Formats: sequence, structure tokens, C-alpha cells
Amino acid sequence: MQLVTSMWKRPRAAFIGTAPVLACRPSYLSPLGWLALQAAALWPHGAWMARRVQDGSDEPLGLAALALLLMLLVARSHTLRIAPHTGWLAASALLTLLANAALLAAPPLLCALVGAMALAAALMAWLPVRGPRAPLAGLVMLALPLISSLQYYGGYPLRVLTAQLSAWALQAAGIAAERAGTSMLVRGQLVIVDAPCSGVQMVWMAWFCACAVAALTALRDGDFLRRLPAVGALVLVGNVLRNTLLVALESRPQGLGETLHQGIGLAVLAMVCTAVAITMKGARHDDLA
Amino acid sequence: MRRVRGPVFPLLRHPLAPLSRTGRVVVCVLFALWAFAMSVAWSPAHADDSQAAPAEGPYFQLPGGDPAIDRLPLKSTQVEARIAGVIADVTITQRYKNEGQRPIEARYVFPGSTRAAVHAMQVRLGGRVLNAKIEEKQRARIQHESAKREGKTSALLEQERPNVFQMNVANILPGDDILVELHYTELVAPTEGRYEFVFPTVVGPRYHKPSTAGGSSSFPATPHLKEGEAPSSTFAMTVRFASPLPVGELRSPSHGIEVAGEGTPQAEVTVNDTTPHNRDFILHYRLAGERTATGLTLFKGEGPDGGGENFFLAVVEPPRAIAPAQINPREYVFVVDISGSMHGYPLDTAKVLLRNLIGHLRPTDTFNVLLFSGSSQMLSPAPVAATRANIDRAIATIDQARGGGSTEIVPALKRIAALPKASDVSRSVIVVTDGYVTVENEVFQLVRKNLGNSNVFAFGIGTSVNRHLIEGIARAGQGEPFVVTKPEMAAAQAERLRKMIDAPVLTQIKARFDGLEVYDVEPATLNALPDVLGGRPVLLYGKWRGEPRGQLVLEGQAATGTHTDVVPVRAPDADASALRHLWARSRIQQLSDQEALEGGSGQREAITALGLHYSLLTQYTSFIAIDQIVRTSEAAVPVNQPLPLPQGVSNLAVGEVGAAVPSTPEPAAWLSLLVVLGLVGAALSRRGKW
Repeated sequence: MQLVTSMWKRPRAAFIGTAPVLACRPSYLSPLGWLALQAAALWPHGAWMARRVQDGSDEPLGLAALALLLMLLVARSHTLRIAPHTGWLAASALLTLLANAALLAAPPLLCALVGAMALAAALMAWLPVRGPRAPLAGLVMLALPLISSLQYYGGYPLRVLTAQLSAWALQAAGIAAERAGTSMLVRGQLVIVDAPCSGVQMVWMAWFCACAVAALTALRDGDFLRRLPAVGALVLVGNVLRNTLLVALESRPQGLGETLHQGIGLAVLAMVCTAVAITMKGARHDDLA
Repeated sequence: MRRVRGPVFPLLRHPLAPLSRTGRVVVCVLFALWAFAMSVAWSPAHADDSQAAPAEGPYFQLPGGDPAIDRLPLKSTQVEARIAGVIADVTITQRYKNEGQRPIEARYVFPGSTRAAVHAMQVRLGGRVLNAKIEEKQRARIQHESAKREGKTSALLEQERPNVFQMNVANILPGDDILVELHYTELVAPTEGRYEFVFPTVVGPRYHKPSTAGGSSSFPATPHLKEGEAPSSTFAMTVRFASPLPVGELRSPSHGIEVAGEGTPQAEVTVNDTTPHNRDFILHYRLAGERTATGLTLFKGEGPDGGGENFFLAVVEPPRAIAPAQINPREYVFVVDISGSMHGYPLDTAKVLLRNLIGHLRPTDTFNVLLFSGSSQMLSPAPVAATRANIDRAIATIDQARGGGSTEIVPALKRIAALPKASDVSRSVIVVTDGYVTVENEVFQLVRKNLGNSNVFAFGIGTSVNRHLIEGIARAGQGEPFVVTKPEMAAAQAERLRKMIDAPVLTQIKARFDGLEVYDVEPATLNALPDVLGGRPVLLYGKWRGEPRGQLVLEGQAATGTHTDVVPVRAPDADASALRHLWARSRIQQLSDQEALEGGSGQREAITALGLHYSLLTQYTSFIAIDQIVRTSEAAVPVNQPLPLPQGVSNLAVGEVGAAVPSTPEPAAWLSLLVVLGLVGAALSRRGKW
């Protein structure tokens, strides 16, 4: 009990005293309560996402994005607007209706995407204009079970691109390498660049890192959106570097041990995410709260 | 300006007080723990692939999936064997129960004895008994698929290899408890007076080259549990004797057993081993004194006109081997499997065996060693003399082998076949493997066509070897099969091989029946029967007609000169009806060997006709039992019953197959997430400094 009490700072009387009052909402429901209601209206999509996580058809990484989003909202709840932006609120309501109506005809992922947009619009309505809103909307999108779909639609081009760039990198280093489809022939050894090698997971991790850092350092939305393409470029470079290193080592007669394989992958991911964090840091270094 | 009045619950109060330093730390720690727990619990992704056609070859069963589907429908296997004389009647009862919420189709790949003549199947469902009928394989499959679509419960038993079967039970509804009974008969012939009854319990993971990679064989994809994981189903076994002679020296080198009535004709053996059924059950026994239940057994069939088919079985024990005074020098070629499935315990056993085999060669002998997995390496380009230095070098090379990679046995044997051979030297090829391949027919063909100038002996190493391959190689190469389940057995088996090669027991064997009209005899060449190398008896199956009288005369050359055995014809035994199935099984095996030699499926019609006429499971005939009641409209989910890895076999037996071509997958999702969270946390903790 003592710990719970000490987790919250003492309210500053001046701040509370100056908090505006919203006439158009019941005084007993906070903005978080409104957002919770909005999320509840999208329950069919939430249930579908839960099923996807439970049946193992996708990685459960979306849960991490959802958890971070909730934590940020709770931590920043004191900054939420008392009077929501009516335009965004109306858009949110429309998108919610559309998302639920689309369930009758569209695939579940598409419906959930519209539902996520509805939630993102609700966030835009409640979050302060000057604060980071786009990164939080980005986290809503990342909460969707996206990995499998990204892998399905974007995996193959990424694999071809990665294999080709890796082949050129190895050739530049004087190693005999050529690409055939999504496979590589390195020093006469066939190495396949299959789905788990595409870099889709790294894409997700980099986006998550970008949204987290931008949100936590209060990066302005415009800056966030302008810097987002750089994240894509960093991921591509990182995945090519990872693939090149692994292919070069795998093609040796003794191959490559599992631990070193994982270690190289994690080291490159750490480098990419560090670069993403530096790219996405905001001007202010806000508190979590 | 007035303060907003919020509810008691602090999160719904607005504005919320900001977090203190302790609060931030607690939130970060909780978030990291939660993300870790979520990621570990659900990672890696395990999609519900039950509807997808599984890949070829063995694979590991992934945990999880839809909790409404019972993925382990086989609950128990109960085996009851009754051994009378040299004939064993075995009943296997498999119990399937669906404890999930959706109808399922259970697929279970299970092993059988290489000599088993499977002749009947029954399904017990809700108090009803469905008797299976024998059908041509494709026709049975069509009937099964049709029944499955219509929502009827159907059981289909197919033969994948003479010692590997697949059971498909479709539309097992939630709560169903289904018993499937199989009945088979086999011959338990004595070797040097000792009998060995073997019941395999698990199919080892077979190295399989997919057709897309140039493979020519087919084999069902088998899901396996990881090393050390125990099977979920239980196993019980009872062996009852109804012998004409007292049964003694009952021992099992594989399992713990309880014996009752030892020394009496009605002995009973029960397996009391609680360890998982992941290895062959082996039971050794002897009949009283030096006698064995051999001789000539006749069965008189009952046809519509009293003239049905009559069958006989002759089991004639050879004389004891005598070491010759002079032993000619020989050349030995050892072909040793060092693939992934041999990694660890099996390869250690093989090394002990080879130290015994190679270490006791005579200086006048020559030898060579070929180690193979995905590729192969020879000890030396040409055979070397069995000097101490060469033997030490060979043993050192074998000791360095670690086991790993695929099992390309055909290219290895081709390399042996291409070795030059002096005409005056007698060569013995000794193949040492667990036999976990699916190219048995290619191997038999290769041995028969290209190694005809050598005697080929096959050593099966491990607790659950592919006896079909081991026995088939020996049969095709006119050698003998051996099975070594543990290192302690290696010395005795090596000694047995040496004796066998030095002194064949009986050669130039001829048989004739005086006074009894026989036909359709197996083997057909009574004037040139295969040599008897060890203490195995000569076996003759066939049909007879007319009066049961006369005698069987067997002549051959033994170390002491001409050896003659005269076996009188006895009165027909009315209880020996199993001879029908044993004869048909022997004929089918001979036709199958012929088919393997010729390639293709040239004996399909003959084998199918035999299977349908004698109600036997063959590669072209299957058993099918269909319930005529439509029981569900929901599609059954296919569920493959996972098999444990045989005792001593490592994960490499399965893992190496999948990892034949390296790739560059990303690191594990949960590790990646922890790295990213750590970076973000570190960045925040240094805020203002970066």
C-alpha cells in the first residue's frame, strides 16, 4: 500500500486548481474513461486480435505496443484535453461505425486496421495539440497483429532486395557470391534467405523504437513523420549488414553456431535501434509522467 | 475554476497525478516483465497448420495450437501376444479418445514386426463392433475420404513399409472412446536354439529426401517429440505361451518384465517397465533342454468341397558350426553411418562394435572403412593390411566421428560397389547403421545388382532400428542381419559375425519331399536354397495336396562333410491355421523383393490378389472399417499423433534434416524485444545527455 501511494507524485494544487472544466462531458468520466469507452466499442476487433495471439498465428509483439501505449496514456493523463477536438472525435465515431460495419464484408485485418484508425483519431481528439500524437497513433497501429501480413505481402521483395544487396556487398569484399531468386550461392555453398530472414521483425522493432522514443521525448508530429522514412532506410541497411555477415560466416566449412547467430542478429538490431533512437529524439526530454 | 470531481478509482480521476521516481522505476520493471512473459508464453509463432499438408520427412511437433483440438488422441496401446510353438498371434489394441471440443481425424504412424502378417482389424465404438474388410489400397482410401466427408467414423489401416503402418481414424467426436484392434501372426524361429520375440514400439525419424530435391521414395511425414519428452499414451504388454515344451530362460534385454510359470509350457510375461515405450520390446527364451519346436507342420484347409488349400511349414535346424582348420584370407569393407540420427549413444555403440570387429582381424586380412552421412570418406583409397598400425589408425578415425548430417546411404553403397576387387579374394561388406532412411528398395536393388560378388552383413545399431532395412540388406546380399541395442552386446555380436564368415554352417543346400505332393513352395528353388551362415534354421513354406505322408529330406555341405536331415510328415494340425497367412506373407515378401529388384510396381496385381484372397495388409491392400451412422456435419481436423524419439536418439536425427541448407533467420522475437526495451530505457535514463 505504501509503495502504491508513493508511486504517484503529490498533486500540485496550482495545476489542479487551474484545470479547465468541460461542459460537454459528464464530470465523473475522465478522458481515459472516454478512450476506454471508445476502445470498448471496438471490442469485436479486440477479440479477433486476442484470438490471433492465442492461436499463435502471429507473433504477440502487438501486446508490447499496446502496453507501452497504455502506460504512456496513464502517465500523461494529466495532459489530456478537457475539451476534445470535435473534428477528430467525429472522425473517430465514423471510423468506429465503419470498422464494425466492415466486419460484414471485409477481412478481419482490414476491419481491425480501420478500428485502429478510429482509436488513433480518438487519441488525436484527446491528446494535446502540442504534444506527440502521431507516435501514439503509430503504437496503436503496431498493436495490430501485423507481422504475418507484413511477411506475406512485403516479405518476398524484402528478401530479394536483401539477398541482392548482400551479394553485392560480399562481391565487394572479394567473396564469390551470387543471388538466384531469394537464395544465395556463396563460396559454392547454398544459403537461403527465407521468410524469417526478410527483416520484417526488424522493421517492426525499429518502428516500435521510433514511436517509443518520439513519444517519450515529445517529438513534434511533423518532425516524427518527416524522419520516419529514415527509419526504413536504417532497417534496410541493418538487415543487409546482418544478412551479409551471417551468410559469409554460414558459408564457411564449419558453419556458424546458434549462439553466435543470435548474437550477431541482436547486435545489429541494437545498432539499428540506437540509430533510430538518435534520429527520433525530440527537443524536450520529457518525464514519463 | 473548480476541481474536477472524479471517482474513487485513481486512473479515472482527472487530472492524474504524475509518477514519482519510484513509480517510474516500478512501471518500467512491470512493463519489461510483462512483455517478457507475454513474448515467452507465445513465441515463437505456432500457427494452426492442421489443415495444411505437412512437409515430407520427420519434423518436431510444436506445442500449443487451438485448445479445442485434442492433439494427442492416442491414449494407450495394449499388446497381447500368444506364442504356440514357432507361431506368435499378436493382438494390438489402440485406444483413441477425443478430449477436445472439435471432431478430429487421428493419424498415427506405428511400427510392426518385419515378419508380421496383419490379417484382421476391428473397431469398437460405443458398444458396437465394426469388422474391417480388406480392400485395394486406392479404393479403401476413396471409401475412407468419402465416409469422412459424410460425417461417418472410419478407420483406415495402410502399410507404408512391411514394418511401418499408418492408422487413420476419421471423425472421432468429442468424448468418443474408440478401440481399434489389429491382429497379426508371425513366425518366431530359433537361432542356435534360442528364440527371440521382438515387438517394435516406435518408428524412428527417417531421413527423407523430398521429391523436389530428387528423392524417389515416399514416406509419411512423422511428427516427433523432442529428445527426453515422454509419449502421452500408455503401453502395456503381455506374452502368453501355449508351448508343447516347457519354456525357460525368459529374459528381456530391453524392458523390465514379470515372469510367471517359467519352466512350464504356460509361462506368462508382463512388461512392468514404467519407462516410456520408445524402444523395441525384445524377449529371449528357450524351450526345455536342447529341443526346439521345429519340424514339419501341416494344416488341412476346409474348402466348399472338402478340398481347400492345405499348407505346410518346415523349420529345420542346421548342424552346429565347426571352426575350419584352415581359414582363407578375406577382405572386409566396413560402411559406417555417422549421420545425425547416429549422434551420441548409437554412434558410441557402433564404435564399440567396430573396435571389436576391426581389432580382431587377422594380419593376413585386409580392410577399409567408409564413413558416410551427407557425403562419405574412405579410410584409404585401397584396402590396407590389418596390421596393428592400420587398425589403430582406423579406430582413431572412427573415434573422431561425431555424428551429424543427412543419411545418403545409396551413394555410399555405390562407392563400395565401384571398388576394384581381386577375383581370388573373398570380400565381406559390413554395413553399420540405424536404418533411418526411406530408400529401402533402392538399397536392396543396389546390393543385389552391384554387390553380388560379396557377402553383405548388416548391423542395426540402436534401440529401435529399421529392421526392414537391416534384414533386407542381409537377404539381398546373402549375409546375415544383426541388431546391437547396447555396447555390452557388441563383443558377442562381433564374435558371431567372425564365426559366421569363417565357417558357414551349411552350403549347397537342397530339399526334396518324398511321398508328399507339394506346390507353391517358398523359396521356389528347392535345389539351390540360400546358404546357412549362422544358426538360423532353414524355413520352407508351401502348399500340399493328397495324403499327408512321406518325408522332407534336406541335404547340404557342412564342415564335416555332407549333412542330411530327414523330417517325417506328421498328421495335420487343426490349430495351425496361421500357416495360410504365413505362406501368403512369405510369397508377398518374395514378390516384393522381386519388385524392388526390377523397380516400378510390376508385381502389383499379384500382391494385390494375394492380399485380397488371404485378407492380408500389403503395400497394395488396406483394411477399412466404416460406421454406417452419420455422426457429424462438422469437418474433422487432422491430427498427427507425435512419436517419441527412440531411446538414445538425439534431436539431431530430426533437426539436421531440416537444417540441410543454412539460412539467416532473425533473432528470437522476445530477445529482440528485450534489446529494444533495454535501449529505450537506457536512452531515457540518460535523457539530456544524448
